Amino acid sequence: MISLLQSNFILESLADFATTSGFGAFFAPGGWKFAVMIALACFLLYLAIKKQFEPLLLLPIAFGMLLTNLPGAEMFHSELFAGGHVHWDIFVDNAGLIDYLYLGVKLGIYPCLIFVGVGAMTDFGPLIANPKSFLLGAAAQLGIFATFLGAYVLGFAPNECGSIGIIGGADGPTSIFLTARLAPELLGPIAIAAYSYMALVPVIQPPIMKALTTKKERMIKMSQLRQVSKTEKIIFPVIITIIISLLLPSAAPLVGCLMLGNLMKECGVVDRLSKTVQNELMNIVVIFLGISVGATATADSFLNFKTLGILVLGIVAFSCGTAGGLLLAKFMNLFLPEGKKINPLIGSAGVSAVPMAARVSQTVGQKENPSNFLLMHAMGPNVAGVVGSAVAAGILLAFLS
Amino acid sequence: MDKFANVGWPEMLLMAGVGFLMVFTVLVLLIFVMKGMGWVFTRQKKAAKVATKGAAAADEHEAITNQEIAAAIITALKLYKSNLHDQESEMITIHRIARAYSPWSSKIHGLTQLPERK
Repeated sequence: MISLLQSNFILESLADFATTSGFGAFFAPGGWKFAVMIALACFLLYLAIKKQFEPLLLLPIAFGMLLTNLPGAEMFHSELFAGGHVHWDIFVDNAGLIDYLYLGVKLGIYPCLIFVGVGAMTDFGPLIANPKSFLLGAAAQLGIFATFLGAYVLGFAPNECGSIGIIGGADGPTSIFLTARLAPELLGPIAIAAYSYMALVPVIQPPIMKALTTKKERMIKMSQLRQVSKTEKIIFPVIITIIISLLLPSAAPLVGCLMLGNLMKECGVVDRLSKTVQNELMNIVVIFLGISVGATATADSFLNFKTLGILVLGIVAFSCGTAGGLLLAKFMNLFLPEGKKINPLIGSAGVSAVPMAARVSQTVGQKENPSNFLLMHAMGPNVAGVVGSAVAAGILLAFLS
Repeated sequence: MDKFANVGWPEMLLMAGVGFLMVFTVLVLLIFVMKGMGWVFTRQKKAAKVATKGAAAADEHEAITNQEIAAAIITALKLYKSNLHDQESEMITIHRIARAYSPWSSKIHGLTQLPERK
């Protein structure tokens, strides 16, 4: 017994255990990065739970980030997806749970499934009633292309510029879909920037809206929208899918899924499917998507100047998108007769972020004129923005993939 | 990335410009399609409205006539009924005297009742 205690075996074993444990890794060279990432994950959890910043997605993303940065746990193996494609030859032997879940992101499955749910929850009625809203949705995509160039100024590669620019579309699934194909190494920072800024739309947009419009413009009352028949609502998703998919085949997965969900809702004969894609399917996919996207935010890929650049460019993208919508609305007013003028505040809703951006238009408008109800008018550009950002993603994919 | 080795500012500007223009083009095309669809449906609706208006006018005339007939029938019935009396038995004899029970008049619950002795 004494000889056993005297031997170095026990001490060596304990030392080995200490160095191989997760705690030991914190004291290894570069171990501080794990501690920073865990602290960051906890901060995002705080934002999701306490501040309710897009909690449905930020919470799983933050927890995925926490899991992937626990030293020694090795939940996610970025080497299996190195070089932008899946290494199937070593995948089965080395993959863990999150690696399998990440396949849904890598193969572009989750964003499309989420789009089916988004489509089933969206009412395109205001857009059908006022097709001019498409113009405002298109103008708000200015943020994407301005940031695309801004990212190039900061030294990002063209494919990375495309992924960063799409943050300006204010559409999480589209950002993830495009980034997973163009610059998968930036998926973590881009997803976090996109969802964080989407949650901050009520903070980012109002100052820009006030700066670019006059009080008189903000008080403009818009005429009531015409009633849209059920047949129109059923035909709309079919027509949009055919036209956009024929014009831009690369946008077909996103637009097709969005319109499939909408058709399920509007046709009224598949209520069960419509409810499933709106609730169960959407919730399950959000969990998988959140965890796996969060898991890509490893210390090495996140703690660098690129992330800082992405966060700065993200806010530029949102601001430019907002300004683009507002300015086009003002420009349109130059040609519209009195009584048919549009309130420029609805232009800012063109940056997707459904329905928060439309709510911001309503709130800012009501502050100037409490009897003004802009919500339904703003929903037109808002859903046009979803279509517009999917089209922009398809264009960038066609150019850069 | 080798693929982007030859990409410089001119290509980037062109991509941004063409990309933005393409978004506009696609969405403007959709505006025309939706306007066309809206025009067809509003026209159909207007046609249906005109048809309904004609039918409604005929219906209205019929409704007025029906109302007049109904008023005439109601007046006739009213006059007929006002001449009628209720049929009465014409018997004034009291057949039965029934005294309903009431605790107020009950002898059992009277104040003279003595308390129970144990």
